[in-house]
Amino acid sequence: MTLSPYFTGRMNAPTAEERKTCWGARDRYWQCLDESEKDTSECQKYRTLFEGSCPQQWIKYFDKRRDFLKYKAKMEGGGFQPQEHGSKI
Amino acid sequence: MFVRSRVHISCGQVLLCGSFLKPTACWSEGVSRGGGAALRHISCLSNRHLRAKAHRLSARKGWHLQSGSVLTECNQEVLDHMGTTPLYCSTGAHVNGPLESVQLVPLIIPEATSQYMRKKLQFQAEGRLLRTHSLLSICHPAPRIVCVTPGSLTLLTHRLFSQSSSDRSSGRSAGSPQISLWTKFMVTCLFGAVIMGLWFYVHLEKEQQEKVRRQEQLKKLALGQGDFNLLDHTGRSRAKRDFFGQWVLLYFGFTHCPDICPDELDKISSVVQMLDKDRALAPVQPIFITVDPERDGVEEMARYIKDFHSRMIGLTGTPEQIKELGKAFRVYYSAGPKDEDNDYIVDHTIIIYLLNPDGLFTDYYNRNKSDQEIAESIRSHMKTYVQLFS
Repeated sequence: MTLSPYFTGRMNAPTAEERKTCWGARDRYWQCLDESEKDTSECQKYRTLFEGSCPQQWIKYFDKRRDFLKYKAKMEGGGFQPQEHGSKI
Repeated sequence: MFVRSRVHISCGQVLLCGSFLKPTACWSEGVSRGGGAALRHISCLSNRHLRAKAHRLSARKGWHLQSGSVLTECNQEVLDHMGTTPLYCSTGAHVNGPLESVQLVPLIIPEATSQYMRKKLQFQAEGRLLRTHSLLSICHPAPRIVCVTPGSLTLLTHRLFSQSSSDRSSGRSAGSPQISLWTKFMVTCLFGAVIMGLWFYVHLEKEQQEKVRRQEQLKKLALGQGDFNLLDHTGRSRAKRDFFGQWVLLYFGFTHCPDICPDELDKISSVVQMLDKDRALAPVQPIFITVDPERDGVEEMARYIKDFHSRMIGLTGTPEQIKELGKAFRVYYSAGPKDEDNDYIVDHTIIIYLLNPDGLFTDYYNRNKSDQEIAESIRSHMKTYVQLFS
């Protein structure tokens, strides 16, 4: 598997193949994170792979997305704790 | 009560079984005037149930009942389970010597219109009867008379009907709840089915009205007014009128999109494929318009859309043209911060627009709609579409 051409500074958008590669790497990385809740150092190799397959912007975007999904899952699981002191609404 | 015979049998309580068709019985409590008590109790005899109801009866005036040489007073009138028709009178007898059989004599039920009259007449009749010292056979609805003797139990089955009472009994049977369970069940099911049918019909009507109302609202919104003049991915110039006469699915996105735009464009391709299968429908035109004109030129667009449906057209233009178009369709888009590579992500509304053959905005679909749902919606729009301009 070749590295993404993003390191050469090319401006072109990823092709369909490159997109698929990136998504696959992302999915594997996220799967590793899901499986090893505490020990995230294990997933470092997946992280490296992920970072190699996707544009920088996409990595940032996907990281934010994962945070959001986690947060959403927590909310849906009833983890919401309303603040005691009154809000300024 | 008083007894004039040598023989008494005490019959203090009358036991009535379930329905008037069941036999009745006399429950004796072993009361004895003379002191000696013999408990004679008979169970309620019935083919079906062994349960029985005991009815306390109000005391009546004593009746004389003569049976042979036995004259016993009948002090209790036994009513049937509905408490209306007296069945027989129960006699009490003193247990003190050899017992003769005591018959529970059913009372006559004369023809009478009201219950009260019936009772009244019955008393009178009974009085008369008894005074005439005759043992009467009966008029009463199919009882079984139990003859009680000490230590033995004889069941006399008596089907003693007079014409009137049999009528009454049949009348009563129609009145009493003897409708079969199956009939009740069927009627309930029918009722339920009718109600469900009604609800369903009302529900459909409501949906229909909702749909019409929504369409009206969207028409009023009148998105996408005004012409546009953009370049397609082959470099050809395109205006809005080029697409008149066709149904158009419009999507705003950009080629550097991480995942959403490819997903949505795949969805659009799938929808168009589904609708293509139906030969009767006109082909739908998918269009992809970039919100990132700085980066997405003609070549970029061409490279991008070839991964999707063959008929898909990509449109691009100058930033001002795209801005105009965005305003017309109320598309929000905003380029994010650039990183070292000068790469950035454009935040934008994720909506698929449907334009009808007149170029008017008809409907929109967000990320939650599946390709099936969108195809269905387009089909229904196609059906209801009435051409405005020929």
